[in-house]
Amino acid sequence: MINLAQKDISHTLGKFIVTAMGVGMLLGIVLIMIGVYRGMMVDAEKLLKDISVDIWIVQEDTLGPFAESSRIHEDFKDTLKVIEGIDKSEALTFQNLQLYGLDKPVRVTAVGFNPFGSINPINSANLIAGRTLQKSHYEAVISTESGFKLQDKIKIGRNYFTVVGLTKGTVSSGGEPLIYISLKDAQELQFSFSNAIIRNDRERGINASGDIHTVNTVVATVKEGYDVAQIAKKLGMWKHVGVYTNEEQTTILTKNLVERSSKQIGLFTAILVVVSTIIIGLIIYTMTLEKMKEISIMKLIGIPDSIIVKMIVQETLILGFFAFIFGNIFSHLIYEKFPKRVVLEAPDALGLFVVIILASVLASFVGVGKVIHADPTVAIGG
Amino acid sequence: MKKVQSIRIENLTKSFGSGDSFVSVIDGASFTVNKGELIALVAPSGAGKTTLLMMIGCVVDPTSGQIWLGEEKVYDNHWLTNNSRQIRREKIGFIFQAHYLIPFLNVIENVTLVPQTNKIPTKEANAHAMELLKYFDIADKAYNKPSQLSGGQNQRVAIARALANNPEIILADEPTAALDTERSISVVKMLKKIAAEQNVAIIMVTHDERMLEYCDRVMKIEAKKIVFE
Ligand SMILES: Nc1ncnc2c1ncn2[C@@H]1O[C@H](COP(=O)(O)OP(=O)(O)OP(=O)(O)O)[C@@H](O)[C@H]1O
Ligand SMILES: [Mg+2]
Repeated sequence: MINLAQKDISHTLGKFIVTAMGVGMLLGIVLIMIGVYRGMMVDAEKLLKDISVDIWIVQEDTLGPFAESSRIHEDFKDTLKVIEGIDKSEALTFQNLQLYGLDKPVRVTAVGFNPFGSINPINSANLIAGRTLQKSHYEAVISTESGFKLQDKIKIGRNYFTVVGLTKGTVSSGGEPLIYISLKDAQELQFSFSNAIIRNDRERGINASGDIHTVNTVVATVKEGYDVAQIAKKLGMWKHVGVYTNEEQTTILTKNLVERSSKQIGLFTAILVVVSTIIIGLIIYTMTLEKMKEISIMKLIGIPDSIIVKMIVQETLILGFFAFIFGNIFSHLIYEKFPKRVVLEAPDALGLFVVIILASVLASFVGVGKVIHADPTVAIGG
Repeated sequence: MKKVQSIRIENLTKSFGSGDSFVSVIDGASFTVNKGELIALVAPSGAGKTTLLMMIGCVVDPTSGQIWLGEEKVYDNHWLTNNSRQIRREKIGFIFQAHYLIPFLNVIENVTLVPQTNKIPTKEANAHAMELLKYFDIADKAYNKPSQLSGGQNQRVAIARALANNPEIILADEPTAALDTERSISVVKMLKKIAAEQNVAIIMVTHDERMLEYCDRVMKIEAKKIVFE
């Protein structure tokens, strides 16, 4: 049997391809939307993965240090070291900064760590130029996405920091580029007051010079052979701290995000899919209208509805299929141009494929309805 | 040659609308057309020629009466078949004033569409189609689209299409109206030959007096009834 859909499409191939590309762009945007969501999930875990520790100690009753602010005393890191099963422990700080010196101010998250400590949050796999911190003051390693280059001098607070290393793809859980500075510098920025304030406070009789030996979290790794959950549980019995395993910390960061973003992006995606379905339906409808005369003739000479309906449904499916292919090409061409991370995953594309095929079948109904009701005598004008 | 009934109509009526818009087109038409006959149907515009053809072709519903196609009674105040399209594609060939070929199919696909729908294997259908196209002297255009053919060539393809399912009946509604005299005469001669050679009953609507001499009988619609000259 002649494949009518294929014949009709190849008869107006150029038009068909342009149409499929148009719908494909729409589907490409759907893929990008899903990719943005995946990117947010990746970003949320990126910092945790780079730091790669087993246990997070934070201020009690907080979801620190990322989801809520947390302050604990730096010396917990030393206390931790004597606990059985703990391998290494270090104090870390996190704070938001706005950096100047480029065309536009850049928002970054600063990670403060001890350059001479046992845990280095800079994953050497991300370090693409320069080196890690080697001095306890005024050096910085920064994400290349921030726009800063090696040897740039960045003014933070009252001091100039020299960029000694560049990392790629390092972001905070919110997707902002990172700047790594020494713990001491970070503490001074976060917890110390200027001399003027201290003088002023002193005159007002307040002693609020701040405890500079404060950090946001203390992290630790566990020796091989020890159960992380058990140690975490033991530590949790201490007073005045909260303890999370790395897994729990990951959940805190992603759960919140999943709840907030999946609804947002899910809704966007659903709307776009509905719009795509309507557009495919309209295209098929007009394609069917253009063929009404041929359809009437076919009915007149005795071609059964099933064959004509098959043509319409196949055309819709072919349109959906090519739109999907173009959508994938389109999304892969542009996804890197987005400022935030976009992660395109095959299972998502596959899911969209299934949805689009279902949508195409749905969309073909309008054309099919038109076919069923076509009057064969219309062709010959009565 | 023995006369074998191919189309038989008894007391057929057809009206459209009701109340103010009521029009009676055919009222009590009865006639028989035999196999191998080429019948000319002549009547003024609006007399109901197309309507009559479409009723015989099971496309338009009559109001009342009886229709036999070959031995089979297909209409007795209502359709006796629930698949009129099967009757059409198996028994009837249609030819119109315009060729009405499917523009996205090439010539041979147009000709084989109905046979293939009738489950004739592609190879067989193509071979038969090629024979017909050779007969009509357009075999060299078999793989061209209708848009690449002249009006006369397309009309010959349309006739080949009407013959492709080896119909018992051909219903031709002004098949020559769009052709010049020479071409018209050759088409009518062709139909005459087909009727005789393949024992097909053909009813051909025409306004052209010159075509009548090639037909076996001339049928007219007068006072909503069928009369033969
Ligand atoms: N669907 C319809 N509804 C109402 N009236 C109709 C319909 N189809 C045909 N008619 C009427 O029936 C009459 C016969 O129409 P028909 O098309 O059969 O004429 P015809 O003899 O083929 O004319 P022509 O030579 O112009 O083709 C006309 O008066 C027409 O207006
Ligand atoms: Mg007519």
